[in-house]
Amino acid sequence: MLLEVRNVSRVFGAKTAVDRMSFTLDKPGFLGIIGRSGAGKSTFLRLVNRLTGASGGEIRFRGKNVLALRGAEMRAWQSQCAMIFQQFNLVPRMDVASNVLHGLLNRRSTLATMFSLWSDADIHRALEILDRLGIAEQAAKRAEALSGGQQQRVAIARALMQDPAIILADEPIASLDPMNAQIVMDSLRRIHDEDGRTVIANLHTLDTARRYCDRVIGMRDGRIVFDGRPDQLSAAVAREIYGANEHFSEAATSTSIDVLEPGDAELLPA
Amino acid sequence: MSLPQDEIDHYKRNLPRAFAAPLSLRLRRGTLALGFAALVAWCLYAFGFSPERIWNGLGRLGRVLGFMFPPHIWTDPEDIADIAKGLGETLAMAFLGTLLGALVAFPLSFLGAKNINRFTPLRFGVRRGFDVIRALETLIVALVFIRAFGLGPLAGVLAIAVGEVGVLAKLFAEAIENTAEKPQEGVVAAGGSRPQAIRIGLMPQIWPVLLSITLYNFESNVRTGTILGIVGAGGIGFLLSDRIGAYRWGEAWSIIFLIIILVYVIDWLSARIRARFIGKWEGVR
Ligand SMILES: Nc1ncnc2c1ncn2[C@@H]1O[C@H](COP(=O)(O)OP(=O)(O)OP(=O)(O)O)[C@@H](O)[C@H]1O
Ligand SMILES: [Mg+2]
Repeated sequence: MLLEVRNVSRVFGAKTAVDRMSFTLDKPGFLGIIGRSGAGKSTFLRLVNRLTGASGGEIRFRGKNVLALRGAEMRAWQSQCAMIFQQFNLVPRMDVASNVLHGLLNRRSTLATMFSLWSDADIHRALEILDRLGIAEQAAKRAEALSGGQQQRVAIARALMQDPAIILADEPIASLDPMNAQIVMDSLRRIHDEDGRTVIANLHTLDTARRYCDRVIGMRDGRIVFDGRPDQLSAAVAREIYGANEHFSEAATSTSIDVLEPGDAELLPA
Repeated sequence: MSLPQDEIDHYKRNLPRAFAAPLSLRLRRGTLALGFAALVAWCLYAFGFSPERIWNGLGRLGRVLGFMFPPHIWTDPEDIADIAKGLGETLAMAFLGTLLGALVAFPLSFLGAKNINRFTPLRFGVRRGFDVIRALETLIVALVFIRAFGLGPLAGVLAIAVGEVGVLAKLFAEAIENTAEKPQEGVVAAGGSRPQAIRIGLMPQIWPVLLSITLYNFESNVRTGTILGIVGAGGIGFLLSDRIGAYRWGEAWSIIFLIIILVYVIDWLSARIRARFIGKWEGVR
């Protein structure tokens, strides 16, 4: 078993953000989590990465309960499950290559990382990863000088630098235009297909979930209300996930990303 | 625009402050304004202000200024060396004092920043410490230090340094608190430790700000240094008070003129350096 989530909860004061979530993943997959704002999607990913603590339950990765890890062991786990954020969370004033090298913080001596002393081999690898994502020419630029789509690819490069078993992506394309959104989603999909890394992505549109995921989990009020293949995402299921109020419409959950087909990104100018 | 009258009444009832200040508030404002006017009037009376006195004073000021002309131009190399040494000493005092203050303030500021030191009692203690230091006027500290360390620039350097610890630690702490949290979150999520998060996610954000603040305070300390000299802490201020004491007005005027130029040049230089550093960034190597 790769990943087992058992009865995981997270309570903030009176609010139960994640409510006894359970699911398992027996082999590497591309998993999408959908649900409306406040459903607990971000909280769940942050629980897995240990950015926030759980109120109860277990998350087992290859049998080991990662919620019980402390100190250095916890940080080692964090470096194994890379996180990608909606706002990229790069160090804006530092250059792209340095930001990618930060994926190695847990694997190199603290002193060396504090003074940005990276070996040539590490720098070489960072450049290779940037090249794989098509942004090697930007390596010496300041991260904040890049477009949003490029910054998100730097964040993916940092994640790859961690050589992670799992990549957690919290609304990775929510602040990108459709073209960049497609490039980023294609990159994540390719990383899954080629490297066999598991990707768990919170997505804010049904379309994206349908297009890229092997499996979709729908959350509502912290609970899993759907868990299945994307082709099982009927309008009725969507209503169940997003709530059956009068404001709901299929259009509100999709973007113009479906104008392009997956794989078209290669044909687009970078 | 056709809001029915009853709705307008409804809003007026529910949002009274948006439409007119209530009587109690207007009364309070009026009392405050009257009180303020009375205070100003009393001050003028107590200090014996009168147009006549000001007029007479201006006349005498004119005569004093007259003594200053023509400005003195030093020709004796020894005098020139003296003045140059004074100017240099004042600059060095400001520089060393600010640097020393900044070096001490830097680690302290982390203890005073909410996002670093989450132990509230310690943070409050440290912050109140900054306040106490800032309440000590540099001039007074200098007078005390002159007694302890003797006449001369050492007392001035230390006085400036003490004052700067209070000011810079507070400003640095605020700069630290004003940093974005996301870069640090990125570092932690990648498996980075807290020291790494601070060094890599936070420091690149603050250091140009710290540098800019420190340079700005250096500018102002060049002015402070001049004043400290007048009470005996060395530098150009000491020479100025010496010349005024000896009624050598021509020389005094020339020294004042040189101080103005010095301060102006330092401000200009420091502004350029600040602009440059704010634009700089940290690279791989
Ligand atoms: N640190 C926190 N303190 C208090 N409440 C929190 C905190 N983080 C999340 N919550 C609450 O938990 C619930 C779930 O939040 P979460 O961010 O996980 O939702 P989400 O599904 O990611 O929504 P969105 O689409 O808006 O990002 C929300 O009601 C939120 O207000
Ligand atoms: Mg979220």
